Amino acid sequence: MNALPTFPWLTLITLLPLAGALPCLLLRKSARDCRGVALATSVAVLGLTLWLGWEHCSGSGWYVIEDAAWVEHFGIRWTLGLDGLALTLIVLTALLSCGAHLLAWRITERVPFFLALLLIMESGFLGVFLALDLVLFYICWEVMLVPLFFLVGIWGREGRGRAALKAFLVTLCGSLLMLVGIIALYLLHGAQTGTYTFALRELLQHPLTGPAQYWVCGAFLAAFLIKAPLVPLHSWLIDAHTAAPVCGAVDLAGLLLKTGIYGLLRFGFPLFPDATRLWLPWLMIPALFGLFHAAWVAYRQTDLKRLAAYSSVSHLGLVVLGLAVWNATALEGAILLMLIHGVSAAALFAASGMIAARAGTTQLNELGGVWGRAPFLGGLFLLFGMASAGVPGLGNFVGEILILFGTFSAHPLIAAVAATTMVTTAVYMTGLLKAVLWGPPADDAVWADLTWREGWVLVPLALLIVWVGVYPEPFLAPLREPVQFLLTTVGTLSGGAP
Amino acid sequence: MSGPELFALLPVLILAGGSIVWLMLGAFGLGYRTIVIGGVFSAATVALCAGLLPPATVEVTGLFGTGSYARFFTILWALAAALTLLLSLRYGANRHFGGGEYTALTLLAATGMALLSGATSLVGVFLGLELLSLAFYVLIAFNRDSAHSAEACIKYLVLGSVATAFLAFGIALIYAASGSFHLPEALAGVVSNGALHPLGLFGWLLVTVAVGFKTSLVPFHFWTPDVYQGAPAPVSGFLAAGSKGAVLAALVPLLAGFGPDWALLHPLVVGLTALTLIVGSLCALAQTNLKRMLAYSSIVQVGYLFIGFLAGNSGGFEAVVFYLVVYAVVTLGTFGVITSLSGSRAEVQDYDSLRGVGFRHPFRAATLTILLLSLAGIPATAGFIAKFGIFRAAIKGDFIGLTLLAVIASLVSLYYYLRPVLVMFTENNAEGNTLHPGNELEHAVLGVCLLATLLLGLYPGPLLDLIHGLF
Repeated sequence: MNALPTFPWLTLITLLPLAGALPCLLLRKSARDCRGVALATSVAVLGLTLWLGWEHCSGSGWYVIEDAAWVEHFGIRWTLGLDGLALTLIVLTALLSCGAHLLAWRITERVPFFLALLLIMESGFLGVFLALDLVLFYICWEVMLVPLFFLVGIWGREGRGRAALKAFLVTLCGSLLMLVGIIALYLLHGAQTGTYTFALRELLQHPLTGPAQYWVCGAFLAAFLIKAPLVPLHSWLIDAHTAAPVCGAVDLAGLLLKTGIYGLLRFGFPLFPDATRLWLPWLMIPALFGLFHAAWVAYRQTDLKRLAAYSSVSHLGLVVLGLAVWNATALEGAILLMLIHGVSAAALFAASGMIAARAGTTQLNELGGVWGRAPFLGGLFLLFGMASAGVPGLGNFVGEILILFGTFSAHPLIAAVAATTMVTTAVYMTGLLKAVLWGPPADDAVWADLTWREGWVLVPLALLIVWVGVYPEPFLAPLREPVQFLLTTVGTLSGGAP
Repeated sequence: MSGPELFALLPVLILAGGSIVWLMLGAFGLGYRTIVIGGVFSAATVALCAGLLPPATVEVTGLFGTGSYARFFTILWALAAALTLLLSLRYGANRHFGGGEYTALTLLAATGMALLSGATSLVGVFLGLELLSLAFYVLIAFNRDSAHSAEACIKYLVLGSVATAFLAFGIALIYAASGSFHLPEALAGVVSNGALHPLGLFGWLLVTVAVGFKTSLVPFHFWTPDVYQGAPAPVSGFLAAGSKGAVLAALVPLLAGFGPDWALLHPLVVGLTALTLIVGSLCALAQTNLKRMLAYSSIVQVGYLFIGFLAGNSGGFEAVVFYLVVYAVVTLGTFGVITSLSGSRAEVQDYDSLRGVGFRHPFRAATLTILLLSLAGIPATAGFIAKFGIFRAAIKGDFIGLTLLAVIASLVSLYYYLRPVLVMFTENNAEGNTLHPGNELEHAVLGVCLLATLLLGLYPGPLLDLIHGLF
């Protein structure tokens, strides 16, 4: 690391959306100006993240670390760090946020407030993915949640108040446990080594020993698995998804769920290697159960948004399975699937929102004939649906197959069971595509096909899905090192299920 | 009283003197606005004076300290009084408050709080507490046209007198056991060979009851919702922030002086704290009236504060002082929003009357939202840092069970804090909007509270260092 103070790019990226939110709140008379400011901010963030990615794509270890004193009295520091894992996630965040701002053109009520919330949430996400201080991480973790509460609670469909409260309370339940865990970790680690710190990199060097680590680890896992969400803990997500406005759902599916998995990878597993080794194999059971349970429930849904939400839960089950197997192939696959699911699920939600806006309903039996009425939109919807179903040549397939390969090398039996998910997913996805794209239209209204603005949202996502499906190497390369780091920190698992 | 003693007590004397001057000027017919603004200026002068004068080491007549700790709270309560008076300017004019009496009593209450926070003797505690209670007995009933206000006053008066009796008797017993009113000695005297003297124990129990009443610790909390609901909104805010805060501020040096023997009272306090958290949370859930909800929420907040007291020796006392500052700012702000939304008739209290506030009065709705989130302890607000300090001390002091209970209470609290928020952001279809648009002054005061809440949440370092220096 060079001694010269460099420009704090990461801090700039994290705080830029927050700075963009301010003029939105102050300029609230003119919705047009606000849209301009918000879109410009998110595009600027995207540009900066892409530039950072280009600059550091061949780097190793921590590409950039920014560290400054913050609340010294409590030992809280402003530490941001960028590695391959964080890089891929902040690019995803910036990309989906741009999409969300374009989609927000459809919102006509209280636009400035809406855009400000989207921007604050983007800052929260970026902070979560970059923070290397546990308390800073926790602060960002909550900051991203508050705007979501209002996005769902004010602009959502019917049942929004309940859904917003439920999502907020359930996820906060885990977060507060994590807060207690963070403080306990700080004190235990201090008692063990003599240095009291919330800095992740220092905490990693001397993992906790003794029985307390299991409790602390449990508190962290609770927060992350609720957010992920693992199956018995997933019902907040379904309601929030169903009630959320389109841009909210995009951020929810594309980013919020990823924070759970990211938290496991960055904090939950490496901080507690002993507990992780003990518990990881057991995670396979809820993961497998969730995979099939959510797929089955998705199959029975009659509402487009609910079906897509259950499909998300099912995919996240597969991601958790990949984590639980804990070898390089499965981990890389899990992270890749997490990323590409962020893209494909967000795209699916965005396209569903566009169809719903034209049809005025999300009930599957009232939809139909999109293929004939809006061919471009229908075609893209087909692509995203197929990507979710895991069709080879599209992004999700690469992640899924890597997870299955990795699983097979460790637990052939479980891999065989998990492989059937390709079939179950295909079953509900083809059902969905059939109901939406073909069949007789419900009325004779003429639909506008994809507008330019909608195209700017969907086409980049579609290209990305195809790119990852055909040539995933540029996306896997930055993940190798973080995965190796995880495997060496936690160690390999021995034994476990067949 | 000697010259240096008077000089050391100067800020409090200005506060008390201001109270008398404005009362007299009111009697000579000066207008309401002039007097209230004058009161604001005298309170601000006190804060300035207490900040600029070097902390003294003299103890005034053996009753009140004048060190940096006492000065710190003199500033805080003077500023709280100033904010209360500013918020009351339009509210009181609409309701034909007498300017002289209102200003004088508010300043008198602040005097009592300042004395109480700096008390170094049980007699000082008694004097300060009675001074502030006397002022509040009248202030609570200031809405002469409101039956609720009168009811609140009677409740507070009757129960308050009982608490006073308990306090006086408790102090007498402690004196009997220890032979001293002065605090370190009065505390050391009741403990012999690691056990409490029976008379001393009984005395402390009675004092606990009195303190429990003033800080609305369960099961001495029954007056709280009625009084908060009935009192004029700015007075409720001042009562919640100041009266409670001053008692707790007086407890800090008292319990810190107790030393390790404080652990002898732990079982009792742990039980009361747990009960406070549980009962407060459960009662708050059912409320549909903003002021009553805030009353129960204040009960829960006291629960958190007592966790800080329990974990005092592991950084809890500092956490409590920080919490008190944050709580004062946030509480004055929340009641300020209610004041500002209320026109000349009834106050805005029911959730239903808050419908659509979020869209019609976005600034005040956003302020109330952020202040409520701060009460709930959501990050980026001061409430988070305050709660973080308490939790940190509690886990360090090995109060894991209480910490988990506090976590659950925080979770529950979010439900009752967010309910009015959701109502504010639902469309109001009914016609007839009775909400007052507020004026610039009120917006500015609320802006100050909001800014302080965010600033203390994002950059609490300086205040934390300042508090660290007080001990």
